[in-house]
Amino acid sequence: MNPVRRFFDGLHPHVSPGGKYEKLYAFYESIETVFFAPLERTRRLPAVRDSLDVKRYMFLVIVALIPHLCFGIYNAGYFARMASGLSLAPVPVVLTGLWLVMPMVIVTYVVGFFWEILFATIRKHEISEGLFVTCMLFPLTLPPATPLWQVALGISFGIVIGKEIFGGTGRNFLNPALTARAFLYFAYPVSLSGDNVWSVLVGGAERYVDGYTAATPLSVAAATPDGQTVEAALEALGYSPLELFFGFYPGSVGGTTTFLSILGAIFMIVLGIASWRTILGGVLGVLATAYFLNFIAGPESMPFLSLKPYYHLLIGGSAFALVYMTTDPVSGTHMKGVKWFYGFMCGLLTVLIRVFNPAFPEGVGLAILFMNCFNPLLDYIEIKIRTRRRVPNV
Amino acid sequence: MTVALNFPRQHLKRMKIIQNRKGYDLKLQGAPSDDLVSLSAPATVAVLPERIPYIKPRLRVKVGDPVQVGSVLYEDKTDPRVGFVSPGGGKVVDIVFGPRRVIREIVIQLDSEETYAIFPILTADELEGISREDLVNRLLAGGVWPYLRELPYRKIADPDVEPPAIMVGLDGREPFQPNPESYLNDETRPLIQYGLNALKRLSDKVLVYTDPRFSNLCRTFKAELTHTIAGHYPADDPGVLLYHIRRRPDENRTWFIHGQDLLVLARFLSEGRYPTERLYVVAGSAAAERQHVRSRLGAPLQHLVLSAPTCPEPRYVVGGVLRGYTGEPNGHIGLYETSVVVLPEATEREFVTLFRPGFNKPTRSRTFASSIKGAPMIMDTNINGGRRACIACGYCSDVCPVDILPQMTLKSILAEEVEEYLAHGLLDCVECGLCSYVCPSKIELVETFCQTKFDYHKEQVS
Ligand code: SF4
Ligand code: SF4
Repeated sequence: MNPVRRFFDGLHPHVSPGGKYEKLYAFYESIETVFFAPLERTRRLPAVRDSLDVKRYMFLVIVALIPHLCFGIYNAGYFARMASGLSLAPVPVVLTGLWLVMPMVIVTYVVGFFWEILFATIRKHEISEGLFVTCMLFPLTLPPATPLWQVALGISFGIVIGKEIFGGTGRNFLNPALTARAFLYFAYPVSLSGDNVWSVLVGGAERYVDGYTAATPLSVAAATPDGQTVEAALEALGYSPLELFFGFYPGSVGGTTTFLSILGAIFMIVLGIASWRTILGGVLGVLATAYFLNFIAGPESMPFLSLKPYYHLLIGGSAFALVYMTTDPVSGTHMKGVKWFYGFMCGLLTVLIRVFNPAFPEGVGLAILFMNCFNPLLDYIEIKIRTRRRVPNV
Repeated sequence: MTVALNFPRQHLKRMKIIQNRKGYDLKLQGAPSDDLVSLSAPATVAVLPERIPYIKPRLRVKVGDPVQVGSVLYEDKTDPRVGFVSPGGGKVVDIVFGPRRVIREIVIQLDSEETYAIFPILTADELEGISREDLVNRLLAGGVWPYLRELPYRKIADPDVEPPAIMVGLDGREPFQPNPESYLNDETRPLIQYGLNALKRLSDKVLVYTDPRFSNLCRTFKAELTHTIAGHYPADDPGVLLYHIRRRPDENRTWFIHGQDLLVLARFLSEGRYPTERLYVVAGSAAAERQHVRSRLGAPLQHLVLSAPTCPEPRYVVGGVLRGYTGEPNGHIGLYETSVVVLPEATEREFVTLFRPGFNKPTRSRTFASSIKGAPMIMDTNINGGRRACIACGYCSDVCPVDILPQMTLKSILAEEVEEYLAHGLLDCVECGLCSYVCPSKIELVETFCQTKFDYHKEQVS
């Protein structure tokens, strides 16, 4: 017999009803079905069912995120070593990156599972695979310097307040990963913003080497003095559009790369697990708003207003968030038509928050959470319109 | 006198062409061939009261009673005029009860020489002059009334109302059903015409529709057809056609009858005895012989499938894989069902399916490599996943042929918001099963909808 099967069969009596750890059954089921497809026969019609289940659906989102994780490991290691004045050979860079990023990922999963199991046991619901995605997304949005206890606290907040108190996956209206991120942002503004959190010091270095600037493109853009263009200010620090596109700059672990976000978007759209309406709406929202700002910007106004629109998709986490955060099916709009509007508004608010509210350099997270709150209303409106068109039955 | 006056009305109207944009065609292996085998008489036939929705059966026979073809076996307590007759002549040998005393089957052992209950013959000329009431009574007395059914509940039509229209579908295409071209052809056309004339005595408006893919059928019945409806399953469903053409709420009560059932009705009226022959398909990846078979109404499933299935644990799905029910291996086929699909039961837990591309995993989504080739695949009876909360993927509303939003409707059902789920169109649900089929969370949507419709109906009549 398959040794993995033997392992699970050995565990099964303990987690079944009456077993010592029966409370952990939901967890057992969740992990066991990663290895073995579940077996349950149809008892009701229809007699056959589609092969797709939630596990595969969510697993494919993770597949789309893996390149971001790998890139994030490299990027975090690279800038940490650069800031500390160490060699930038690929192997040490990757090792440093692993050492920085993996603990965050592991802590997120352990703590996330802890809460989910707790609630699954109390509430007697299954462990939804959405958790796997949430726990993958969250560390990718964090600065590499985030202390692990904050990671733990953040994901706890995201899972418990963002999801479980509403009844678990499927009933939450906020994106749990963004809720977690926003919580940390507001609870610990010092350690999670400013310029010094994006590159970690490693190898005993006590401060950044001379000449290293840890400024993120967003903070550069917000702080560009009058009379200069943001593009030039970025270029002066070595952030060419191409560099920005590929994401080689200090920033959140996996969120800097527009290139991989586009690949991920194509992957998920082709597979039909993310809504192209939302993503496209978001991109249009960003571009249209930025064009509009260009249009109203006078010679006196902030240089940020005149930033070329496509730059908004290159800097910060907007591309990442528009692809992976807005498309969370549960916290996004459920109806097709309003997905356009939802995406568009996320893009619009992102740019407005970025440009007009320097206190929040990264607007996209807040923009999406804000729009999440309106989604039930948007759905309601579309449903009303659609049901009104029906010939009534009674 | 102008010639046109003598033509059926449809002649003067252009046929309407309708496209069903939603729905889905399963990629299911095991389609039947067009070969037709005529089977010898089985040892037993049966009727299955359990499978007739919305009735309360009351037995009119007991074990040991001799019966003729066409003698009443049971009736509907709520309207005793609606009787269900024996499809065979012989002796009642068994009455099978299920849990809570539901009557599963009334089994008749056939005599070698069967006798028939004789009814008056109605010639085509007499049909022209017959009163509606007289015709209704003949259909009721002969036990063919139950073939006429009423939307939106799909229960047996109420003999006392005149329906806004009757829809005649020529015929099903759910995986798998008999090819209608094998029984609707030049030979049976006069019978169909006769049957349509009978229906016209019941309602002013008789609509006849089919799928344009059946080109021979379309040619043969050019004069009779009023609509063609193309597109994915369940484009053949009368509820889908109604959804596309209705304008007023009262049209929701439209009646319908399937092509093969109309033949039974027409034969009964014109021959004066209850027809016992029916065309079935035997299909499914585990069926040894996949073909059309001509056999008796209510024949035993084992008799229809001919040889033992090709898998150790077969499931007999009676009436198509999406709408059909699981039949007992030693059971019989019901009044409305025209197919037996044999599927392998799910027995194995595949290792690391999650990490495989899945070239042989049928799916409507694009999450398996199988979606590239799109060839028919074997399906077993596994629900293929763990039951989860709704993740709002929206696949169910993508497939729903009548634009219900199943995930939203389910929510209002769970919240008992009656007005809301009615506004969503719950009663329009054609019970096609696609929403449950596609749901990655394995939520029993269609089952809940059927039950809710049933409960709502019960509340309305009481
Ligand atoms: S709601 Fe009814 S009509 Fe719509 S897909 Fe489900 S079963 Fe079919
Ligand atoms: S298919 Fe299932 S999971 Fe998806 S929206 Fe419909 S009910 Fe929810």
